[in-house]
Amino acid sequence: MLLGNEAIARAALEAGICVATAYPGTPSTEIMEALAEVGEQCGVYVEWSVNEKTAFEVAYAAAISGLRSITSMKHVGLNVAADILMSSAYAGVENGFVVVSADDPSMHSSQNEQDNRWYGLLAHLPVIEPSNAREAYKFTKLAFELSTQYKIPVILRTTTRISHTRMPILLEDDIPTQRNCKGQFKFDTSRWVLVPGNARRRKLELMKTWSAIRENEGREPLVTIFNPGIEKAIIAGGIAYSYVREALDILGYRDKVTLVKVNLPVPLPLKPVKQVLEYSSEVLVVEELDPIVEMQVKDIALTSGFKGRIIGKELVPVNYELNLETVYNAVSKFLGLETTSEKIWSSVEQVRTDPPIPPRPPVLCAGCPHRETFYILKIAATKAGLKTPVYTGDIGCYTLGFQKPFETQSTCFEMGGSIGVASGLAKVVSNPVIAVIGDSTFFHAGIPPAINAVYNDSNIVVVVLDNMTTAMTGHQPHPGTGVSATGKQTTRILPEKVLEAVGYKVYVINPMRVKESIEIVAKAFEEYRKGVKIAIVSRMKCALEVARIARRAKIVLPVYTIIQDKCTGCMACINLTACPAIMVEPGAKKPRILGELCVGCGLCASICPYKAIEIANTPSPDYEKIWVEL
Amino acid sequence: MKRVYNIAIVGVGGQGLLTLGSILGESAIHAGLDVAVAEVHGMSQRGGSVIVYVRIGEEPSPLIPIGGADLMISMELLEAARYTQYLNKNSILVTNDFIWPPPLAKYPSRETIITALREKIPELYIYDANKVSSEITGSIISANIALLGFSLGVNEELRNLIGLENVVKALEETFRGRVLELNKKLLYKSFEDGVKIAEEKRSTR
Repeated sequence: MLLGNEAIARAALEAGICVATAYPGTPSTEIMEALAEVGEQCGVYVEWSVNEKTAFEVAYAAAISGLRSITSMKHVGLNVAADILMSSAYAGVENGFVVVSADDPSMHSSQNEQDNRWYGLLAHLPVIEPSNAREAYKFTKLAFELSTQYKIPVILRTTTRISHTRMPILLEDDIPTQRNCKGQFKFDTSRWVLVPGNARRRKLELMKTWSAIRENEGREPLVTIFNPGIEKAIIAGGIAYSYVREALDILGYRDKVTLVKVNLPVPLPLKPVKQVLEYSSEVLVVEELDPIVEMQVKDIALTSGFKGRIIGKELVPVNYELNLETVYNAVSKFLGLETTSEKIWSSVEQVRTDPPIPPRPPVLCAGCPHRETFYILKIAATKAGLKTPVYTGDIGCYTLGFQKPFETQSTCFEMGGSIGVASGLAKVVSNPVIAVIGDSTFFHAGIPPAINAVYNDSNIVVVVLDNMTTAMTGHQPHPGTGVSATGKQTTRILPEKVLEAVGYKVYVINPMRVKESIEIVAKAFEEYRKGVKIAIVSRMKCALEVARIARRAKIVLPVYTIIQDKCTGCMACINLTACPAIMVEPGAKKPRILGELCVGCGLCASICPYKAIEIANTPSPDYEKIWVEL
Repeated sequence: MKRVYNIAIVGVGGQGLLTLGSILGESAIHAGLDVAVAEVHGMSQRGGSVIVYVRIGEEPSPLIPIGGADLMISMELLEAARYTQYLNKNSILVTNDFIWPPPLAKYPSRETIITALREKIPELYIYDANKVSSEITGSIISANIALLGFSLGVNEELRNLIGLENVVKALEETFRGRVLELNKKLLYKSFEDGVKIAEEKRSTR
């Protein structure tokens, strides 16, 4: 049983890749995690790159040197790599190169739900889309073949429900044990140097390839037509096909419509679509998010004089991910049937309680270092007399700091945005501006704007939350950890060194020492008010990592408890930390700490005005080391 | 067998829902069945509300429709109540007897939740999986395995579909050494508890 992402990794190994690169991002991360685990054994070079653009470039370099390679990223990551994506279409490749774009409809873990099939249309590159995890395995190999055949990059587009669904997968091939991963760079300035004159020639080549794919690739399995010749036809691709197939099964209509399965949505092959439009007069296009296939079907219909009806987004939602119900209802309506999903699955509906079931948004974990830093920043800002500071925010676990009681993320747009937006705000508003960014995000896209702020004399504070890992995506190493994707020791690059080099006065704090840190940060904020360029690096390891290390090394972390006699029920501990390990039972007057969840960060104990929170166990003597040292 | 058997696993991110989904999936494979396990990674795992969909059948699509779950396994009471719309009147709900409120939230009491669940779901089973897990493994970390064992005990259809022996095989692939032994012990104990409770329930009808 493999996760869709693991299936892609396995298929890439079978396809004979030599290089694999990525920057972690949900829902794409597990592709490179799987490859990092076995890469070395298989003779494949695997890296976590600093960002998607660099990841793309590293893998592309292999592809222009005659080696197969893969790069994977989340949908918004492709925006970061879009510059090189466009150019790579012009220059092409010497061997199979697959760019995996893992899209996130419904924004389970993203700031938008852009449909990256558009990138295929924009760059004139083919997009292959599997309909489930099993096909992700098959079609990754197909993508390599197509890329090798046409000598251009191929985009493999998945969505969350393909990337993150496990299915049993029957493996077809072995992983080659011998592979020649010595690349050869063939000097050819007319191809690799895209000055205008060369780019103009390459554009014509690209458009020739694009037309060839459109004309010739109507074959299976890129497009499959079931039950040809029926008046009603349904065209579906990607995850939408899985829902259509199941909906037709339930309706008993599997054999009563022509079903066109599209696995190459961009460019949509002409021949099979023309063929269907000859015999079908009513066509439903079912696809998740934007009407990419629908648009192309309508285009083909217009030029071939089709007289019938093409329905798509009138019946199929354009926002958020699809599910069996929405597709069932669309298909049922298209077929002129009365049945709806509510009639098939009669829900008992959500129970009602008083008070109602509270929402449970994601929160900072118990012991999360960001909680400490946010508390310190707020207290220090007040102490230093900073009035209504704007905390520009960024992408990571710490984005959750937008919530009460912290409210130390006032914006969050894209990777690295905190510092750039802060730079601009400082020019136009009178509030103090504090950019808060994570360590991995700082290396990804935070350095150029940090330089910009100094160069253009923007009066901001940069705060780097250094938890020594890329936490949100499941703890991948980054340049600040000094460890590579495959676990090798490498040069450790410290954010404070970078910031110092570009002109900041940097303070490094250990947020576990709350009082000491407040003093340091308050002093730094006072200097900031006088115009000094200040950066603060708050270094404390991710609590999930700490708990894991402690378990393995048998180090006992403190577990705190609330001494009921000393507690006055002021609730400062819970109101100021929102720690999930502290709870108030219904009707209770005093909070209590869930010992199972407490990892002993000690923030609540340092906040409690009555000193009612104490360590309940005997922790190992130097437990603090694992929180602050690599 | 129905075309697709739907199991919804709900709880709070970090409670071992993904592991439970994966073990169910592996068990289904050992039973010679096709299966799809749809997970949620990333932000929602940070203490948020999580649902994992396990669909056993021939090439299933990934998501369980509203009202379509045959079984729901809940790691926490508020989450059981949050996701009841996935159940129909014939569904079985197995929930951990544990409330873990979101920080700073007002929430209904255990009794209020259980009364509300009972009104809608005849096949409701409440099991103190945290306690059983603590007793056997010394920690609540294996409450997910306790709920799995208990579910197999109370739910004959699931037991016949995937088989206890295949679940044991799946555990053997997931855990090693002492952790494996403790989890196996926990599985058998909770399974027996489930069988006993189901018998009691039948005899009182």
